[in-house]
Amino acid sequence: MLMTDTILDVRHLTVRFPVFGGVFMRRTAEVRAVDDVSFTLRRGETLGLVGESGCGKTTVGRALINILRAMSYDVEVSGQALYHHPSGVVNLAGLSQSAMRPFRSDIQMIFQDPYSSLNPRKTVAQIVGEPLRIHTKGTVAERADRVRWLLEKVGLSPDQAERYPHEFSGGQRQRIGIARALATNPKIIIADEPVSALDVSIQAQVVNLMQDLQEEFGLSYIFIAHDLSVVRHISDRIAVMYLGHLVEMGSADDIYTRPLHPYSRALLAAAPRANPSARERRERLPGDVPSPMHKPSGCAFRTRCSIARSDCAEAVPPRTSRQGRDVACPYSE
Amino acid sequence: MTTAQPLVEIRGLRTHFFTESGVARAVDNVSLDIRRGEVLGLVGESGSGKSVTALSILRLIPDPPGRIVGGEILYQGRDLLKLPLEEVRKIRGSGISMVFQEPMTSLNPVFTIGMQLTEVILAHEVCSREEARQRSVAMLAEVGIPDAESRMAQYPHHLSGGMRQRVVIAMALLLNPSLVIADEPTTALDVTIQAQILDLMLQLKAKRDGAAILLITHDLAVVAETCDRVAVMYGGKIQEVAPVEELFRNPMHPYTRGLIGSIPSAIGTKDRRLTVIPGSIPDIYDLPAGCKFETRCGDRFEPCAETEPSLIEMSPGHLVRCHLHTC
Repeated sequence: MLMTDTILDVRHLTVRFPVFGGVFMRRTAEVRAVDDVSFTLRRGETLGLVGESGCGKTTVGRALINILRAMSYDVEVSGQALYHHPSGVVNLAGLSQSAMRPFRSDIQMIFQDPYSSLNPRKTVAQIVGEPLRIHTKGTVAERADRVRWLLEKVGLSPDQAERYPHEFSGGQRQRIGIARALATNPKIIIADEPVSALDVSIQAQVVNLMQDLQEEFGLSYIFIAHDLSVVRHISDRIAVMYLGHLVEMGSADDIYTRPLHPYSRALLAAAPRANPSARERRERLPGDVPSPMHKPSGCAFRTRCSIARSDCAEAVPPRTSRQGRDVACPYSE
Repeated sequence: MTTAQPLVEIRGLRTHFFTESGVARAVDNVSLDIRRGEVLGLVGESGSGKSVTALSILRLIPDPPGRIVGGEILYQGRDLLKLPLEEVRKIRGSGISMVFQEPMTSLNPVFTIGMQLTEVILAHEVCSREEARQRSVAMLAEVGIPDAESRMAQYPHHLSGGMRQRVVIAMALLLNPSLVIADEPTTALDVTIQAQILDLMLQLKAKRDGAAILLITHDLAVVAETCDRVAVMYGGKIQEVAPVEELFRNPMHPYTRGLIGSIPSAIGTKDRRLTVIPGSIPDIYDLPAGCKFETRCGDRFEPCAETEPSLIEMSPGHLVRCHLHTC
């Protein structure tokens, strides 16, 4: 049995949302929310996924979970998600519901809004115990023990197990969400903006907790967020997205100290810095993000790019390896 | 000496909310000067009282349940809290105006941009409709809206979030107010748009002699980039006031120190742990009797639980409310 460094290998992930219109509500167009995105997640690492609203970062996370649930509705998800399980490499995208079952508990999700992601009518013990009831075979008493243990792990008191979500603050609710995600002993956690709804002082608590748990349980995180300083702090590697495309991916240090793609540069230049002595005029990105329904041809960023040339409109620039990272721009240096 | 006179003086402001759960002392004895030409940051987390302070200045507190129970707010020699409401209404917009967080809710969805802008002028000044229209178009152009003339006929939903916030800023500046209160003006926007809007606000302020901005935010990085002075609020009280560089270089209140320590810095890497302020924000109906931060403070000692420290000037312009610096 070969244990590789990689735990999840996502290849050519594309998510299309159909658009219906006209008198007969026929399918008239489609929005490619995620367009040919490939990345790998390594064991025990945090991969940060950054970008502005509409860039597809949340959809990437949801698509991975959707593949897991083997459901599609009218959203079309294509591509491969190769999961490196101890028993071998499995393409999760090709599995049926029943074939998926053994792997489903290995990937869990933490949501942004700790107010709406917990059922208000259930106690904490029921919320955290639910995945155990579905995925494990233990007795009621064993499950109760595990719930108490989980609550302690996330910094809550096991005595609070019989309380309801509204009795907790935002930070505590996010801890409950984390305990629920941990319940089935997952290998991968997809965290979608896990701290952006929290106050600054509480944010730091949750970030530290996630780092502690990662170390203790060897978890791999896909950390989706728009706050660049939080992502920098927690991530080993970072992927930058714009309008459904992954434009640059590399180590957190490389991306933050020497971003190559013009969009990564502009995004980082726009992030405010907590250092009043180092104020400076920085490059500002003009205009707004175009609508994903009317994505520019070729490179999606070319309409706001300072180094765009005429041939940028022709084809989507391929991602090439340069200076230790992947960049989807042939002209940046 | 009119220049030394602050633009707005808040003295002992107390705004309380009377609800079934009890009395929430959202703002409790806040004193703060807003000086001419400055950008003053008012920082705090949810429930600290920063927004209620701002709303109190313009008498926008919903009553009931809220009521301003004490203090005075001096503006141009008059106490805004004692003026009849019609007088306050004249000051809103022309003397002091406000920019809110969510541009979609501060614009009326069923009126065109043009109607909403011209109405602001027509409600305050005697002038022709055509003149009001021209001034509105000029203002839209000034806040960087391309093709301002044709935007006048559009509705708010035609615009992106960043463009809407530009319209709201245009509206706030139409009557040349001497103070703009901006309550989390960029929190709902993306980073690159936030940078555009903050730049714009500073540029527009620089063009208007003596105009001031009160910037309310939870984001210390935004404060570091834009403000001249900062006031930190917690539990309805001002805890520390200082010039911005002084505050980041030499934070004196344990809460301010904790806040600054909890920002993941641009240099910080995974190996560095964030400083954490333990516990959670106290219940507004049940604030500690002494120092409001006492329940979460790592430096607390005997007097903290019983007596509230007073706000003391430690060095010129640097005030702090903490027993560590008084005993």
